[in-house]
Amino acid sequence: MNIPFITYSKIWVGLSASFVVISIILLFTLGLKPGIDFTGGSLMELSFDNRPEVSEIKTSLVDHEIENPVVQRTGDNGLIIRMQFLTEDEHQAVLGGLRDEFGGEENRVHEERFETIGAAISKQLRTRSMWAAIFVCLAIVLYVAYAFRRVSKPVASWKYGLLAIIALGHDVLIVMGVFALLGHFAGVEVNIAFVVALLTIMGYSVNDTIVVFDRIRENLIKRVSPDFGETINIGLNQTLMRSINTSVTTILVLLALYLFGGTTTNEFVLALMVGVISGAYSSIFLASPLLVLIERRRR
Amino acid sequence: MAHKKKRIKSSTRSQLRSKVAGIVAMFLLCLVVVFPGNANQGIDWINNNANIGIPRLPEAGFNLGLDLQGGAHLVYQANTAGLKDSERADSVEGVRDVIERRVRGGLGVAEPLVQTTRVGDDYRIIVELPGVADVSQAISMIGETPVLEFKEANDVPARDLTTEERKELDDFNGIAGKKINEALVKLKNGADFGALATEYSEDERSKVNEGNLGFINANLFPEIYTWADSHAVDEYTTEPLTSFTGLNLVKKISERDGAKQVQASHLLICYRGSNGCDEPLYSKREAKERMEKIKAEAVPENFIEYIKEYTTEPGGAEREGDLGWFGEGQMVKEFEEVVFAMENNTISDIVETEYGYHLILKIDERIQKEYEVARILVNTKKETDILPPTEEWKNTGLSGKQLERAEITENYQTGEIQVSLKFDKEGSDLFADITGRNVGQPVAIFLDGVPISIPVVNEAIMSGSAVISGSFDLNEAKLLSRRLNSGALPVPIDLISQQKVDATLGADSLEKSFKAGIIGLIFVILFMILYYRLPGLLAVVSLTIYAALVLAIFKLVGVTLTLSGIAGLILSIGIAVDANVLVFERLKEELKEGKSLKTAMEEAFIRAWSSIRDGNITTLISCAFLIWFGAGFIQGFAVTLALGVLVSMFTAFIITRTIMRLVFPWFKEEGNILFLGYKKK
Repeated sequence: MNIPFITYSKIWVGLSASFVVISIILLFTLGLKPGIDFTGGSLMELSFDNRPEVSEIKTSLVDHEIENPVVQRTGDNGLIIRMQFLTEDEHQAVLGGLRDEFGGEENRVHEERFETIGAAISKQLRTRSMWAAIFVCLAIVLYVAYAFRRVSKPVASWKYGLLAIIALGHDVLIVMGVFALLGHFAGVEVNIAFVVALLTIMGYSVNDTIVVFDRIRENLIKRVSPDFGETINIGLNQTLMRSINTSVTTILVLLALYLFGGTTTNEFVLALMVGVISGAYSSIFLASPLLVLIERRRR
Repeated sequence: MAHKKKRIKSSTRSQLRSKVAGIVAMFLLCLVVVFPGNANQGIDWINNNANIGIPRLPEAGFNLGLDLQGGAHLVYQANTAGLKDSERADSVEGVRDVIERRVRGGLGVAEPLVQTTRVGDDYRIIVELPGVADVSQAISMIGETPVLEFKEANDVPARDLTTEERKELDDFNGIAGKKINEALVKLKNGADFGALATEYSEDERSKVNEGNLGFINANLFPEIYTWADSHAVDEYTTEPLTSFTGLNLVKKISERDGAKQVQASHLLICYRGSNGCDEPLYSKREAKERMEKIKAEAVPENFIEYIKEYTTEPGGAEREGDLGWFGEGQMVKEFEEVVFAMENNTISDIVETEYGYHLILKIDERIQKEYEVARILVNTKKETDILPPTEEWKNTGLSGKQLERAEITENYQTGEIQVSLKFDKEGSDLFADITGRNVGQPVAIFLDGVPISIPVVNEAIMSGSAVISGSFDLNEAKLLSRRLNSGALPVPIDLISQQKVDATLGADSLEKSFKAGIIGLIFVILFMILYYRLPGLLAVVSLTIYAALVLAIFKLVGVTLTLSGIAGLILSIGIAVDANVLVFERLKEELKEGKSLKTAMEEAFIRAWSSIRDGNITTLISCAFLIWFGAGFIQGFAVTLALGVLVSMFTAFIITRTIMRLVFPWFKEEGNILFLGYKKK
């Protein structure tokens, strides 16, 4: 079995590039929908014996001077309400108001979860997220350059690191693009969990790329073929099943978590799944073909 | 390479066996750690049957995060704007301490986490309250400032009197003045005091006894006592004497010695088992020995030093053991007998009471006179009688601010639990003024706007100590003294974030993610066995050991499991499998090249290592930054993922390899359907 990946290098790279461009366009047009972690605000999860209509809840909230509440159903009898930052007194007032209006003997209103995040915290989370992303990228480039320090022919070792980062950027952008779509059509918000998913995807994506590069490094040292492109293609074929199987097992556990785990982690797991698939794809179809293109250009 | 192969073959067979035994032992140990309940059942069974006493294991569960067991995560921002830079950190630490006291004592949260963080110039306090059902109450308790106020009877009318009201008051008091003067003139003209009292007095109680009030002391009728103190028997007042209720004519009838009062300090050493000994330092014998030593050394001049050092009476060291003036019947009998019999300025022998051992320094004794008096009272009105004040009580300016310390003490006479207050310098002066001008009058102690104790002042208190005696039980008294001590927060705080998860939602999340983890594990096991055949099965064995090992480590290290932590754990299953997959793919390749089973296996591990190492290190780098990122959701995830990655490298390389080395020699020296999934031609 020998699939000629490298022969179609330009097509793969072009395909990846168009995914990335689409993602970027989505990010600029639709944009991500920031959750309360980044904007500040409150989230209240309630459960009812008899869930009232979303519109009724909204009307009641507006009566309590809540501006633009976002009300979503969750589970069979739950509701998630997103609104502005509430002080504890306001929180109790809103909760009491909802209980008065909808609660009673037959309809117990239970507050399952309440989160409120002030502006200071959300600002801190925004800057921290940014710094964490920058540091992770830097650390990974340095590490990959170090790991490949003995393979500098025919491509300089730091370029492996750079390519790993390009693959990483590709994966992260695609996940963000998917969430821009989800945000627009399904109201999915990005929160701290999303940032954690992105940072994990960064690690995972590079992991995948490294395994492929590692094999290429071995083949280069062994001189399995005089042609650089062919050497890489052999490496890709050798690691193909590993890439697929690892992704499949990881997706399997994530799928179990998505389907059977609580709703709280659903979006987090979804981001990870998209990232894992994209990570496996980018190591084979983006990083390695790019390596060949760089080498050809050098000549 | 040939040499190396030989070495593996010949010399490691016995090592291999001990390695396998080690792995089995480790696995069993992990199971015992993870499921101590089942292990204890086994231990009980052995103990019952073999009649030996193997100790049971502690049945502690996993540390569950707030999102799994329910509870609240609160973030407060400290408002340090008015403080100097150098004072900020200390003040915020002070706030932290106060909050910790409030949540531990006030709310009874067993394991609260209260910590401070600094973000740029912002100081924050993070409070985690696991298992707290009523978060709203917790929030108000943390933020509240207990307000302690001392108030006296309000004599300021709600507003100035109108002209008519003023006239009514003046008319009434004018008539009263005329009436008392009329009586005074008759008295001066030789009329009988008793007869005048019957005619004129408006004091219904004494009027029937010809005005006789009986024997009075300084606490009752202070103005009359003061007058009687400076006048001889049978004298009467030549001017009307103003008291709280009106104008008096007073005649001194006789005088006598009142009860003897003594002033003393004491040193108490309580012991285990003595009454009211909350924190015993001594056994009874030790307490006695200590006392004998003190008795041998102490003289009246240095006795205070000994009290300060040794007394176990709550608050005794600060009060220097001072008991103030007291009369008969106020102390326990054994104590009283000794102190009343002693000479001034001496130290007693050791006195044993139900409270422990005492040494008493008698400072002084006195006998207060009591006077028998008769009076004629004509009531007058005050502004407040015409127009009652809106508030019954008015502020005195003395509050919790001037409080130095509050402590629980016990009333020696009644055994009643009370809270003793010690004021600072300013507070002591204020308190002396307040008690001085309110002798015989009530002073109210308000806590959070509610009167909790309204004692009547007996005499001016110069020592700066007061006692709140309500009907407290010990816990209420403890709570009150703790709240008073914690006082106002040194820095105002704002709640800027709260995350609250209900316990039922937490339990539901835990159950669901546990189920998801098991299902994910089954998916992976099926996939591995179907795809990789025998090596897959062996990998499943090592994966099972992996799961037990990771859980045991979580428990031993005390990792707090959160929902995100479980997600990290489940993700790490995927990563644990990855190491095996890399090795197995390599194994297949090596087999296809025609290498023998054993060589192929050893090669596969050696060659897969660099990929596994490099790949996992990048994941660990991400985790390191995530852990740095902050608390809560992120840390839980990153910690479990990182631990999972590290353990997975260990299981893949040590455990899977050992199992393979054990199992592979059972097969022919070439790849077959069990390994490759197809027959080799």
